[in-house]
Amino acid sequence: MATREPARLPWWRRYRPPRRLSFTREGRLIVVLSVGVGFAAINTGNNLLYLLLGWLLSFIIASGLLSEMTLKRLVVDRRPPPRVFAGEPFLMEVAIKNEKPRRASFSIEVEDLVGTTPLDKRCYFLKIPAAKSQRTSYRHTFARRGLYTLSGYRVATKFPFALFRKSRDVTAPLEVLVYPARVPVARPAPRTTARGDTTTNRAGRRGEFLGLREHRVGDDRRDVHWRSSARSGRLLVREYEDEHARRLVIAVDNAMPEAVREAVDDGALTPAFEVSVAAVERAISVAASLVAAYLELGWTVELCARGCHIPAGAGRQHEAKIARALALLPYVADAVPFAVLPPRVESVLVIPRTVAAAGRPSASTVMDV
Amino acid sequence: MRFAVAHKAATYLMVGSAYVALVAGGGVAPAIALAGLVALIASWWWEAPHVRLERWTRLWTAGSILALVYSVVASVLTADFLGVGAQFLVWLTVAKAYNRRAARDWQQMYLLAFLMLVAGSVLNPDLTYGLCFLAFVIASTWALTLFHLRREMEDNLLVKHAADRASERVEVRRILESRRIVDGRFFLGTGALSFGVFLGAALVFLALPRVGVGFFLKGRAGLTLTGFSDGVKLGGHGVIKNDATVVMRIEMPSHYGNRDAPEVHWRGVAFDRYARGQWSRLNTSPRTQQTLEEGPARDRRFLLWDGPARPARAIDELAAGLVRQDIWLEPLESDVLFGASKPRIVEYAHVLRPRRSMVERNDEVRLDHASTIHYTVWSELAQPSPDELRGSAGKLPPAYRDYLQLPPEITPRTRELARTLTAGLTNPYDQAMAIKAWLGNNLRYTLVLADPGRQEPVDFFLFDRKKGHCEYFASAFAVLARAAGIPTRQVNGFLGGEWNEYQGYVAVRAGDAHSWDEVFFPGAGWVTFDPTPAADLDVLGRGGAGWTERLGRFLDTMRFHWNKWVIEYDLASQLALFKQVGGVFETAAGAAKRGVVAIGRSLYADWPIWLLAATPLAGWLWWRRRRHQPVFPRLRSRPRPRVPVSQIYDEVARQLARAGAPRDAATTPRELALALTARGAVAAAPVAELTELYYAAEWGRRDDPAAEQRAAALAREIRAALDDARRASR
Repeated sequence: MATREPARLPWWRRYRPPRRLSFTREGRLIVVLSVGVGFAAINTGNNLLYLLLGWLLSFIIASGLLSEMTLKRLVVDRRPPPRVFAGEPFLMEVAIKNEKPRRASFSIEVEDLVGTTPLDKRCYFLKIPAAKSQRTSYRHTFARRGLYTLSGYRVATKFPFALFRKSRDVTAPLEVLVYPARVPVARPAPRTTARGDTTTNRAGRRGEFLGLREHRVGDDRRDVHWRSSARSGRLLVREYEDEHARRLVIAVDNAMPEAVREAVDDGALTPAFEVSVAAVERAISVAASLVAAYLELGWTVELCARGCHIPAGAGRQHEAKIARALALLPYVADAVPFAVLPPRVESVLVIPRTVAAAGRPSASTVMDV
Repeated sequence: MRFAVAHKAATYLMVGSAYVALVAGGGVAPAIALAGLVALIASWWWEAPHVRLERWTRLWTAGSILALVYSVVASVLTADFLGVGAQFLVWLTVAKAYNRRAARDWQQMYLLAFLMLVAGSVLNPDLTYGLCFLAFVIASTWALTLFHLRREMEDNLLVKHAADRASERVEVRRILESRRIVDGRFFLGTGALSFGVFLGAALVFLALPRVGVGFFLKGRAGLTLTGFSDGVKLGGHGVIKNDATVVMRIEMPSHYGNRDAPEVHWRGVAFDRYARGQWSRLNTSPRTQQTLEEGPARDRRFLLWDGPARPARAIDELAAGLVRQDIWLEPLESDVLFGASKPRIVEYAHVLRPRRSMVERNDEVRLDHASTIHYTVWSELAQPSPDELRGSAGKLPPAYRDYLQLPPEITPRTRELARTLTAGLTNPYDQAMAIKAWLGNNLRYTLVLADPGRQEPVDFFLFDRKKGHCEYFASAFAVLARAAGIPTRQVNGFLGGEWNEYQGYVAVRAGDAHSWDEVFFPGAGWVTFDPTPAADLDVLGRGGAGWTERLGRFLDTMRFHWNKWVIEYDLASQLALFKQVGGVFETAAGAAKRGVVAIGRSLYADWPIWLLAATPLAGWLWWRRRRHQPVFPRLRSRPRPRVPVSQIYDEVARQLARAGAPRDAATTPRELALALTARGAVAAAPVAELTELYYAAEWGRRDDPAAEQRAAALAREIRAALDDARRASR
């Protein structure tokens, strides 16, 4: 069996210094004072000026050593919320642990990085006692749906004298899936005569596995899902799908003219193209909101789009599955066909108003948004 | 301590230490310095919300403008830019202390403190500056760290985010009043840091090459002493005070300087002309004969006295047989250099060159200095023997006739006394000794002066007053000796000094000032004669043994070190220090090398013994390795700390083991829980739940207080169930 060598860092990353220093205003002042005092000392031979120069240089060195000690053995953990929606602010939880057994760390800044650019405002920790952890959060909003990758984080400090900001970039990729924006939508009234299976509009017993929820008083202990409970630290119980749920197909047209797609790929959208993109995005948002609304009512929902099909299902996990699909739904040519809508099932087709496309399926309800 | 109070206290300590460093040198008028200090202390309570600072802003601005105008005018008129600038700095510091509002004001206070320290480096080269500098280093570490934290708090902690509600502002005041942020450990830690900073500063100070060519310390006015002066005037009335101010510190071998050694005469100025009760120097009197060697770092002068010039090598050989003294001399009103009588070689830093116009006579050495000066002297302490002096013969050099000068006002009875005392004695030595003996036996020593009026002072002393201080004794001796035809001159300097046992140096005080004579013997040269009665010579003594005296000597040691290692630290000292450090390393390296060689030889020569000793050790190491035990257990990485839930699980596992359900090494906790559930054991369900919590906490690294509480509850439940089962089985 062949063995694989561990992946090596590219050479420019290997030779990059592990720390970065940037002087603050106070740091620049201290450097200027040091140069001035040094010049005066050499010029005059006044030993007390040499003593002051020694203090200034020693002060700068001590600052560097202490900031190094402060940054050592800090472990950062970022936790995004389970669901992030485009256009809605969310709180990214940042936990930092000081693994030093005896020394506290003071004045620590943590910021998420996209590439080498900070994502948002930095999180500040005044004091992290020895062998303790602290957590805080920052508020951020992603404007568009999609999968965002935060390449890592930066830990920085200006402790102890704010002469310079010393930072350390840590590569720790974190993917944040941003669901389509939630929009208020009115649920269309059912139009088909064949309404699918009958419904009871409630969770049933011992059907297909539906999802997990928090333990409530009275729940059967046999339904406790121990593994997930252990992972989350909360008692979770299994829920089973009601076998008599109503069924609905939601279709969204993600077709986009080729010119617009190319412009999106190149990042050179014209105002006219932006209108098309906004229309498709609106359609996807409406579809996602409809899915959420129907699933909330206990319906069984199926998703159809060009090049994408999520079979019927219900419950929160299914909602997450559809939201994920919609979050990652690409723009395609209208040559890409829709999945075939099942007959005799209530269906809603969401189409962007300003984008014309061929090959749209017939649905019981069409929403032109 | 509350954060805000800690920050303010550290800032005031920092500013206060810089302030004292500035004013303690006397560069600022005492009234202004005191007023500034009082105002600075009072400003502690002058802050919002007790005072509405904005109401007073205009007044402070107007005051600052006035102070600026006054400073400009005063500096132009007095040309004392440094002193006036220091006063303006005092004003600015006080004004800023009364206007502390934002972070910028604190920063400006720190900058002003630093500027005061810079100004103090010129105005105050005393030990007080060193003590204030130490306090400044410690306080500035505290103050700047706390200031940084305070500003970061104000910048970063103003907004608190929440998922379920809008972000809200945090009251910074509440944090500033917190006692949890800084505690004793914080101050200890930063104190240790400041100690490190101080050590680093000292190392950098010692290591920075001294390539400076100037010396910008503001010249201090020379000390006005009671006793020593660059001239002698007999007469006057009053009481001479014994001033204990240290004027000179001399490092020399202890057997010459300690309390049991004979007191050394520290020769300074010498006079040849006596007239109207005053000693002075004639324009015609012999110049100091010397050869000068200039070096890149040190200059060296060889004093010839009445001998011939010598080549440099001969001077080095001569130095080896002389007594070396390293002298730190405070600035006096006189520019003369002192050395143990009689000084032969004087060495000082090259930058301290004497003025070209300076004329040195009577074997004096002069060097202008406005601050403490360090120089080295090699002296001949041994005097020629009496027989040698009795046998000395030769012709008096023509220039030395000045040393026989006597003014016409010397009374006949004085001359008659000289004749009487020396009658029948055939050589100058015996004659001089006879005069000295008569003075010692017939006249008394006193520090109480009586005005001779119009009477010739020596005559008044010899025949009427019959008591006086050292200048009278020396003058009377010189006059009588000259009257007897013996070439004599009067010398002023210091006698003895206090032996400092802490560092091994002699501290000469102002009150040790003394006058004596030098008598010239052809062939033997100048010889010291001290006619003052021996019992009264040293009024201040050689240093007491009481705690105040010892404390005084300890403080003086600190001053001495301050001058030696800071103020007077120059290129020569630096080279000597580097040489010394290099020597230590060389010695250590030599010792290590010798040790390695010795072990190698021993290994070769005594290999059976080494083999015998090494075999058990090797066997033990091999045995440890075979058992997969670390050879050096202390070097093992520390085990991962157990989280609280795991500790609870461990305790429950021990209870289960005692109850007959042990978990062997091959069984996982979950398998144990499943086994207990399968056989319907007591407390199987809570054990299963606790096991899952244990997995989540120990391996999921979840730090969840709710899980800890639940685990503790489960542990109690399990323990109760096990206890019930045990009781039931009984």
